[in-house]
Amino acid sequence: MTSALIADGLTKRYGRRSALNDCTLDIPAGHVVGLVGPNGAGKSTLLQLACGLLDPTAGRIEVLGARPVSGSPQVGFVAQDTPVYAGLTVADHLRMGAHLNPSWDAALAKRRIAQVGLDPAQKAGKLSGGQRAQLALTVAAAKRPNLLLLDEPVAALDPLARRNFLQGLMELTAEQGMSIVMSSHLVADLERVCDHLIVLVASRVRVAGDVDDLLATHHRLVGRRRDTADLGAGRALVEQSHTEVQSTLVVRSTAPIVDPSWQVDRLDLEDIVLAYMSGAAGDGPDRVLEGQR
Amino acid sequence: MIWMTWRQFRTPALATGTLLLALLGGLALTWSEVTQLARETGYTGCQGDACRAAGEAFLQALQPGWASEFHIAAIGALYLLPALVGIFWGAPLVARELESGTYRMVFSQSVSRGRWLLVKLAAGCGAAALGAGLLSLVLTEWAQPIDGASADRMNPLVFAARGIVPIGYATLAFVVGVATGLLLRRTLAAMAVTLLVVISLQIAAPFVVRPWLAQPVTTVSPLQFDGDYGISMSPDTGRMTVHVQPDRRGDWIVSSTTITSTGAEFTGPADMTQCGPRASGGREACQSWLGKQNLSLKVSYVPGSKFWDLQWREFGALFALTVALSLFSLWWVRRRLV
Repeated sequence: MTSALIADGLTKRYGRRSALNDCTLDIPAGHVVGLVGPNGAGKSTLLQLACGLLDPTAGRIEVLGARPVSGSPQVGFVAQDTPVYAGLTVADHLRMGAHLNPSWDAALAKRRIAQVGLDPAQKAGKLSGGQRAQLALTVAAAKRPNLLLLDEPVAALDPLARRNFLQGLMELTAEQGMSIVMSSHLVADLERVCDHLIVLVASRVRVAGDVDDLLATHHRLVGRRRDTADLGAGRALVEQSHTEVQSTLVVRSTAPIVDPSWQVDRLDLEDIVLAYMSGAAGDGPDRVLEGQR
Repeated sequence: MIWMTWRQFRTPALATGTLLLALLGGLALTWSEVTQLARETGYTGCQGDACRAAGEAFLQALQPGWASEFHIAAIGALYLLPALVGIFWGAPLVARELESGTYRMVFSQSVSRGRWLLVKLAAGCGAAALGAGLLSLVLTEWAQPIDGASADRMNPLVFAARGIVPIGYATLAFVVGVATGLLLRRTLAAMAVTLLVVISLQIAAPFVVRPWLAQPVTTVSPLQFDGDYGISMSPDTGRMTVHVQPDRRGDWIVSSTTITSTGAEFTGPADMTQCGPRASGGREACQSWLGKQNLSLKVSYVPGSKFWDLQWREFGALFALTVALSLFSLWWVRRRLV
């Protein structure tokens, strides 16, 4: 499995405040990867380090086998809040892309603009949030990068615009076969499009894996209250909660759990992610504010 | 990158260009007025001592016409241009991208940050040099008879609106705007600071930088009381200073002081019986008393013949600063801007 992004002890500090602290992860290529985590987990900082907008304070980062630099034709990036040039028209943005990228796919850009119903003569400053996101995605995608990084691209969109955006993203991956890493603090945004998931809490990877694997290996166990130390080999406790009489556990296990004393349920992706997030709460280093824009 | 630079730069560039064209048009239209008046008053083709009088007549004749209005407007424009270029071209160039977040879009295209800024710096400096240079050189040519008649082009006020020096100020102001925008990351703050820096530079240049660049010549000659001179004295303490305007037509007088035989500046004390309100002899007596004080006039001046030499020196200094600040900005955008 080749890697799209490798981070090793990656740290980014602003003065004494650290936005990303000793982060180590490996994101495989050829997937649509969802990067989930609470606000302040370091997602934005990680993505900006990956596209060369930021330089790490310490540690190592490799993107597509090389140290990231801004201006690389290999990596596309759609920043948080999807900035566009307010004074330029939609058509101007495409001309900019054509002038600034040797690998520019004008046909793709034109087709996508028509598909999402943008008027080329419209000033970008007058576009709605959803239209702006579509424009930013089009500019990033028509560059034909091998890796496309999206930083909370749908956070500001209403549900309909969100669906349209994700739809467009899926079409792109089907057509172009580019690797995509997108971050979000909402699992619901990701589970429709992602086939690989990374949960990042306070700069630490809590869990990473293919979505199908995650769904198959996580179980919710409900039974009478008991000690949780004796789960057995090959089982890892993710989260636990207890009442007077009952214990509820979220367990990761490669083998199916056949134990009549437990009632075993399947979990959906959101439950799994929430279990990892709440299971991690309180034991990580200090939470930091959402990273620098 | 060139297209993108043009697309973002064209509105301010065209606005400034229109203003310059209006001034150039005014100079073109009054060109014949200047040459005609110079001919009619006999200044053109004058010989020897007659030139001084003919020149005076020529300048007098110019006063009421449009030509002198455009002369003043063009000088004003050359002083205003650096501030405008710094504020409206330079300061927003990077600051607005940082403020609106669009730097994240443009930096994720396949263009390195260094090249992005280099093209923008080159385009802005080129346009500033072209605009300032065109206006200044046309004005220098247009005002040739006027400068000849008034012998005033070494005057600090006129000097910076002639020749190639305005090019240096315009390009430096542009780069100052870019660099402050880069450091402050706020358009409005960058504009304010740029304005302050450009104005301080324009004020400091004639007082501090130009005398140092020009290396004035200093002469000491016995003080003659046959021309105009002024005396200021305090009747109580007898403190007295003598001001003489040396007759150095066409030269830039950097300083002129009256000194005693020891070389120190003459400050009195005055002989109260000869000079001052209680003296009876009047101006004549005071002058003859002063004549016996063995005073000399120490003049530090830059000869008018060094006009182009000084133009090149000042332009060179401004150009060196522009290059240094550009290199700093390029380094900053590559290494420090995060």
